Amino acid sequence: MTRAFGAYPEYRNPFPASPIHPDGSSTVLYQGKSITLSKTGPGPGLLIDPADLVRVNGFEVKPQGACFGDLCIPMTGSLMVERGGSRWFDLEAFADLLGQQYVADREARVWSFAEIPAKRENMLVNALAPDFEVKDRSGKVIRLSDYRGKKALIVTWSSW
Amino acid sequence: MWQAIYEELANPDFVIICAAEDTGGEAVAGPIFDAAKVSYIQIVDEDHLISSVFNFVNVPSAAWIDEEGRIARIDEGTYSKVHTFGVGDQSITFGTDVYSRALKDWVQQGAKSEHVQPPETVASNIRTHSPDQLKADAAFRLGNLFRSHGQGDKADHYWALARSLNPDSINFIRQNLTLTEEGSGGETFRQLMGEYISQGKPFYRPLDIESA
Repeated sequence: MTRAFGAYPEYRNPFPASPIHPDGSSTVLYQGKSITLSKTGPGPGLLIDPADLVRVNGFEVKPQGACFGDLCIPMTGSLMVERGGSRWFDLEAFADLLGQQYVADREARVWSFAEIPAKRENMLVNALAPDFEVKDRSGKVIRLSDYRGKKALIVTWSSW
Repeated sequence: MWQAIYEELANPDFVIICAAEDTGGEAVAGPIFDAAKVSYIQIVDEDHLISSVFNFVNVPSAAWIDEEGRIARIDEGTYSKVHTFGVGDQSITFGTDVYSRALKDWVQQGAKSEHVQPPETVASNIRTHSPDQLKADAAFRLGNLFRSHGQGDKADHYWALARSLNPDSINFIRQNLTLTEEGSGGETFRQLMGEYISQGKPFYRPLDIESA
């Protein structure tokens, strides 16, 4: 039988079934990265160790708030919560505050976050390219900022 | 592919970062890169991250980034040349020769190139994505994670969510078709094209480069 153009049905579900978190941890997907969090607070939401925030989305908890570069979001009462005798950072509440979209599969304990709107303003208003980080086919990390001083054509295509 | 143009330019201060928006991964995109003997930067972008960064909804699409990190052009049907498949009455022609000429002019002339657009033009050419469209990117990646763990039902659920949240994404529609027996160029695709044409919607944002 002739294969239809751009048809790869054998790659729809090619992998053996496996649990995402056999050890009870949680995962955050953001900017193409998958961040595993071994320690999260109790309940259906995403309460993380404040120290993990920087590896999740680059923000750091500082006295003046949660900060990324010059952008600091004041710590409101809804962001830091006490649960089970520990203090947690509520990542869903933070996303809501920033207008950041996300989709959660609470059963599998995976949260997938879209980009933070404030990080895109320089592109949408001033036409400055946002930095990004991806791996090339050899596994080398490619950041757009590594090519500052050169012209770059960023081009997408597909097999389909 | 852009290899011939890349070799012709042979400019050490010009890079191409070329991303295959292919959830099928290396298995489907790798051989195409290899056949073209590509020597520029090759990305197999299973999560369509590059499209997400620039709000692209179709392939091929591109952004020109200058030495200071400013976008000089964005989001056009980025063909390196006119392509023809088949022969005689059965042949299909698509693409354009004007885009690559403009690109070469920019690489050689820099900011003096007539094809460099002012920031306000570039900004207005970037697609505005609604909160739902941004959420669609998150849903698509979640589907891919479940696919990588062999959980096809959940992958299908989140891919369908992505398509419903961003129905303008031809990428999501055709990526899904690619992973079916029908493929990306079958009846569903032809219907989609017909709807675009009947609604007067461009499949790509039109090039505003003089063809002469």
